[in-house]
Amino acid sequence: MVASVTVVGNDGTDVAPGRLEVAQLSKTFGPARVLRSVRLSVAPGELHGLVGQNGCGKSTLVKILTGVYTPDPGGSIAVDGRRLRMPVHPSEQREAGVSVVHQHLGLVDDRTVWENVRLGRYQARGPFRRIDRRAEQEAVAQVLARLGRRIRVTELAGTLSAEDRATIAIARAVQDHRPGGGLIVFDESTRALGQEARGRFFGLVRSLIADGASVLLISHRLEEIVEATDRVTVLRDGEVVEAGLDTRSVDEAALTRLMLGRHLVTHGRVDSHARDDLAASVRSLSVGQVTGLDLDVRRGEIVGLTGLMGSGFEEVAEAVGGARRAESGSLTVGDRRISLGSRRASTEEFVRARVGYVPERRLGEGLAAEMSVAENLTLPRVRSRGHRFRTGRAWQAEETAAMITKLDIKPPDPSAPAGTLSGGNQQKVVLAKWLAGQPELLMLREPTQAVDVGARHDIIDAIRAVARAGCGVLIASIDAADLAVLCDRVLVFRDGTVTGELAGNLGQDDIIHATFGISPPQKDLLS
Amino acid sequence: MNAARQDHGDVADASAAGDVAPPPGPARPAVGLQVRHFASRYAVLGVWALLIVVFTIAKPGVFMTRSSFESIFNGQYALVFMTMALLCTIIVGEFVDLSVPAVFGFAATILPVLVTNHHWPVWAAAVVAVLGALACGFVNGLLVVVAGVNTIVVTLGMGTLITGIALWMSNLNTIVLPPSGFAKIAILPVGGLYVSFFYGAAVALAFAYVLGCTPLGRHMRFTGASREVSRLSGVRVNRIRFGSFVAASAFSGVGAVVTVAAIGSYNATTSDSYLLPVFASVFLGTAVIQPGRFNPIGTWIGIYFLTTGITGLEQLGLQTWVSDVFYGGVLVIAVTIATLLRRRTT
Repeated sequence: MVASVTVVGNDGTDVAPGRLEVAQLSKTFGPARVLRSVRLSVAPGELHGLVGQNGCGKSTLVKILTGVYTPDPGGSIAVDGRRLRMPVHPSEQREAGVSVVHQHLGLVDDRTVWENVRLGRYQARGPFRRIDRRAEQEAVAQVLARLGRRIRVTELAGTLSAEDRATIAIARAVQDHRPGGGLIVFDESTRALGQEARGRFFGLVRSLIADGASVLLISHRLEEIVEATDRVTVLRDGEVVEAGLDTRSVDEAALTRLMLGRHLVTHGRVDSHARDDLAASVRSLSVGQVTGLDLDVRRGEIVGLTGLMGSGFEEVAEAVGGARRAESGSLTVGDRRISLGSRRASTEEFVRARVGYVPERRLGEGLAAEMSVAENLTLPRVRSRGHRFRTGRAWQAEETAAMITKLDIKPPDPSAPAGTLSGGNQQKVVLAKWLAGQPELLMLREPTQAVDVGARHDIIDAIRAVARAGCGVLIASIDAADLAVLCDRVLVFRDGTVTGELAGNLGQDDIIHATFGISPPQKDLLS
Repeated sequence: MNAARQDHGDVADASAAGDVAPPPGPARPAVGLQVRHFASRYAVLGVWALLIVVFTIAKPGVFMTRSSFESIFNGQYALVFMTMALLCTIIVGEFVDLSVPAVFGFAATILPVLVTNHHWPVWAAAVVAVLGALACGFVNGLLVVVAGVNTIVVTLGMGTLITGIALWMSNLNTIVLPPSGFAKIAILPVGGLYVSFFYGAAVALAFAYVLGCTPLGRHMRFTGASREVSRLSGVRVNRIRFGSFVAASAFSGVGAVVTVAAIGSYNATTSDSYLLPVFASVFLGTAVIQPGRFNPIGTWIGIYFLTTGITGLEQLGLQTWVSDVFYGGVLVIAVTIATLLRRRTT
């Protein structure tokens, strides 16, 4: 895949000007130094990985590259041997051929595809300086054609699939690239993509590299990094612990050890905790394209819901969690029966029935960024455990401390605003918010999405523990690895119906095959 | 089901890795942080003290007198009630209720009109005035929460509408209450100040308690911070939002009754003049006690800070325009400070 990788040694000595050369880059926020003398070198035509735990400084580095943050004095960033001014100005960044596809893609949902792609580049023509829509649309269509994806340029971005949305963000990033140059940074851009879409994504990346571009791939999926990238740089606690490591010489375990500074030991298998009595049952659920779904979850059982994006499992999860209104159906938890078709302005009755819902978007649906960890964590119980005229401090302190210890939430500060925590720790707080209420049914959506291996470990442990305590758990996810590790059985959705139920000794491949409706062996994802 | 699940990795002793780098340490001492934290909470109080010193030196024997003290602390009851009303809706995320001064003016007009023009008993008229204000809040809540109309549009329209009705009711005149013991509910002297000062203090304290110490207050804060997070956590978001409009109108209505009792009359044309001071005080409050957060105690302090500044400047010989300059300037500065503080915490 590499066109030519003749740069830097691991000792950091410069050999030749790379496509991107970052040297001695530091960044301090108030009392916290989040980057310390970071160095990074990406060669022309190279696919370079950047990994590290949540909060290790990856996003800060990207924000310095894009001019959002000004680094501390003393550092430098050079592209093709040309040193950029600090802070990096967007026009200079664009001129240098550096573009970024951000984690959240940065799309405006109620604008069209072409408006999103051309944002910031509209060409005005004529005496009244009107935007030449036809020319803009043609330009976007050409970029999309280059990317090999057929998307109507007049479609609203908000109506598209996750894969198409990612493609639009990539189109925006690569439209100005001249063949033979440029650097594209993908910051967790594959997180919303399913297995199949990720395969196509890497096909696209390969074509960009074949054109001479360099790619910096930031991802929590270590298997992607090991299989797809040429070299990898590892960040830990704001410092580079390994720069430009050849990925042929490492495996996921070695990367994990570098990221965490500790070993990850694999255990054997664990028995199911499922009991005979029911924790919850869903009857005649009709939501979106799903009609008449019946589903039982036993106490201690972990049930996975999966499928291709848009296959209906997401809607089922939202309806069962109370996040959206179904056309019809009911959920029974213990002796409480909740109508899923009722119009409701809150999930109060779900909370009363001890149904916990961990949404897909942790900020915006799971946590209020400006409120503290303790306030977020205790919110669902503040009325039931508090007095009408007094929330009561003791139980909140006790509950928060217990959850911080149990899930190893960092920093262990109950008063820290939730928005200041790293993504993995935010996810732990969202989970803790419901675990602390000793739920009867826990509905989780993508519980380990964009979290590092350490956080994933803690989250999986916590899910198992709550199942062991008798809670029924539903996990809606496209992550086959999570489902294989956690679930007793997995329901596979396609076009709104359950097309398969997998049980027993689940493997990732079984789930992927069932999801795509293909027989093993499947072709290699990244080949 | 006896299916076995594949275990995931487990984390072993950290010391097993020989190349563990020490975590990055703090770049500055904690003392500096504490000083900054203290300064961000109490800087306005410091500036307030500084203002008092400056005015005392600039106008010896004029500013630091009992009459100045009384004019600063005795005359702000209307502002206190109206700022608490505005806080109700702002805290639950309804930016911004422009009808607060109009609702206040509407209730403050109903009372003297019923008593003077229609010979109602004053207490009955006071009840009707508060009910009139509540009706406005009810309609605001209905349109914003139930119908989903934009808050600014609804409250701007409602404010203009009821101001018009108040002007019609009063025929553009100042309506004076006949002399009665009703005034005592506002101007009864207690410890050298009017009792209405203590009403305001009590309301601010009670509101701060509700927000800081009760489930209702926690739900209000979360509703303001994120409606979706609150909804998915079992908070009755719409009920909270609707209730905040009704509570805001109740504050305005009660404040109007106290104000009319204190001054013995009301002119509906003056309602609009409260808009700027109310907003300036509420936003200034975000720079006091709880930096970056709308809070009743900070707002209450903000009111008297602003009044101190204006009183001092007027005593220095500046004309009445100074209040516009001061309120407007403080509003812009306070919003800027609040935005910066909020950015630092998220």
